[in-house]
Amino acid sequence: MIAGLTAGADIAGDLSLECGVVVVGSGAGGATVAAELAGNGVDVVMIEEGGYHPTDSFTPDTGRALRTLYRDGGGGMAVGRPSVLYTEGRCVGGSTVVNGGMSWRTPAPVLERWARQERLAQFGEAELEPFFAEVEAALSVGPQDPETVGRDSQLFRAGARARGWDVVANRRNQLHCAGTNSCSTGCPTGAKRSMLLTSVPRALAAGARLFAGCRVDRILRHGGAASGVTGHVVRPGGRRGPRLTVRARVVVVAGGAIQTPALLMRSGLRSASGQLGRNLSLHPNAVVTAFFDTDVTGWQGVHQAFQVREFTGQGLLLTATNLTPPMLAGMLPAWGAELGALMADYNRIITAGPLVCDTGTGRVRNIPGLGPQVFYQLTDSDAGRAVRGVELTAEALFAAGARRVLLPFGGAPQVHSTGELRRLLAHPVPKRSIQLYSVHLMGTARMSEDPRRGVTGSFGAFHGVPGLFVTDASSLPGPPGVNPMETVIALALRDARHLLGQRGRWGL
Amino acid sequence: MIRPERPPTRPEAPARYAARAARRLAEVVCPPQVRDGARTEAVLDELGLMLAALPAAARHALTMALVLLDQGARLYPPGRGRRFARLGDAEAEAYVRALLNRRGAAAELVLRLVSVITMCYYQLPEVQREIGYDPAPYIAAVTRRRLERYAAGAP
Repeated sequence: MIAGLTAGADIAGDLSLECGVVVVGSGAGGATVAAELAGNGVDVVMIEEGGYHPTDSFTPDTGRALRTLYRDGGGGMAVGRPSVLYTEGRCVGGSTVVNGGMSWRTPAPVLERWARQERLAQFGEAELEPFFAEVEAALSVGPQDPETVGRDSQLFRAGARARGWDVVANRRNQLHCAGTNSCSTGCPTGAKRSMLLTSVPRALAAGARLFAGCRVDRILRHGGAASGVTGHVVRPGGRRGPRLTVRARVVVVAGGAIQTPALLMRSGLRSASGQLGRNLSLHPNAVVTAFFDTDVTGWQGVHQAFQVREFTGQGLLLTATNLTPPMLAGMLPAWGAELGALMADYNRIITAGPLVCDTGTGRVRNIPGLGPQVFYQLTDSDAGRAVRGVELTAEALFAAGARRVLLPFGGAPQVHSTGELRRLLAHPVPKRSIQLYSVHLMGTARMSEDPRRGVTGSFGAFHGVPGLFVTDASSLPGPPGVNPMETVIALALRDARHLLGQRGRWGL
Repeated sequence: MIRPERPPTRPEAPARYAARAARRLAEVVCPPQVRDGARTEAVLDELGLMLAALPAAARHALTMALVLLDQGARLYPPGRGRRFARLGDAEAEAYVRALLNRRGAAAELVLRLVSVITMCYYQLPEVQREIGYDPAPYIAAVTRRRLERYAAGAP
């Protein structure tokens, strides 16, 4: 029994609650705020659309994970040329349950740029350092134990080093990770210190109440100020169950960069800046598939042990990430017997690729009957960098001993050497042919002290609606160029502390 | 008392006409071994579970795409007016290839269907074992190693 946690399945009739702060979402931003507020005596209610799935329910079954831990079976698509496939977590703990756990501070130049462009208060590296340090201690952020590093990561590092590139060991929120390579299907050992195992239980232990399997439909307002939320229990198949109403003095929205603006917009809220739902960044990434002569068995060892940092100045990170058979099969540009032949070499495959710090932006819109829809335009510059990142990744893989590689460009032939690679890429790659993916969605309610430029202020307050706050990746003013989880958690902690400093104002 | 939420276990059966197209598509886009034993049925079960996890609009869109894929074959000259589900192997393969070689939303939708169905095929445990992927014993071993080495600090 977990005190304070109620599953939607156990709610039989309409429910009406009152609290000090209602938090929408239990991921990196929401759980952090909830734990901090509840730990300081605030009466907190958390609402999470996804279900509660404890560690002992996690298996390497990809299909099951997609159905239970991800929104829409992991099949999100940002429509554009090319379209970008994306995934969002939807479960107690949010995307921290299914991400790779990469934990990096926001680079100082990025903080400086955000602070300058958006005139953000108390946003310097020195002012944020204590928050990052506190988060890293709480989530056990650090490098992997060496015995958990798999052969795919070792080979990719060897290839990058052979090219003379800067390679760093990844920092992850883990406590002696076993290296099961199950990050994306839920860590079966509990070594990954996701919100499911850290801030959510901390919030509950401090008296917060969490309602899982409940979807928030609208934010309520009274006299122009946020006054709570209304929603419903989600029944199997997405059917609507009993109604849920939470009256609160403060509403914190932390549903991620797609759901947060969608909720705000369907609640009739507008930003004077006109920026709500805009400025979507998504760190597009591409996958290069390399075949080796001997077994690599990339699923034996930790997910992404290293990052190539040589090209961060060009907005590129390179890394090797093993994909489970269903995920790889779904990405490969082949089907039928050809797919079978490629997949027969599964244990001799390394998948790696670039992450692009994008300059292009997208938009979230609510389409009647369809819900939130995402549109994204890859810029020519970002397309060029994606192609360059693919080329660099393939070079590292050839240097590591790959015999052939498949490039993520529709219709591209298999490539057998760096010479062949350069000859192929001497010709322009059509932008629409690049196959891109994203797991980092950001920026759709960006913070700015200037209400004409941004949706929220320096501490997450929604401009023009007292009592409404946004604390998730949607408030980032741009792409950080590194994995954004630690940035989101540190800023959420900072927002929570700031809110605690205003308890009197909000009657908390 | 909280109970872990159970994943959907009842497949969302596509409408009968869409199911016929889904079956044929699985036979065409999965490796030939899909016809061994009851694998096609297992792929369709997986597909049904996946559909059950989608929002209604996406579920209907994919179902509609299957129907269009099926009926669109009537306009494919080598198909001589037959539905996709009734095409021979070579014609069905050529039809899918022709669709994928096009540009635009229709091709993208077919590509998504192909991708989902091949994912479902490689989701089958016996298929995973055939390509050398059997993570359960490995996970058990490294979990044991972790506990032996770090028991004091492990959660």
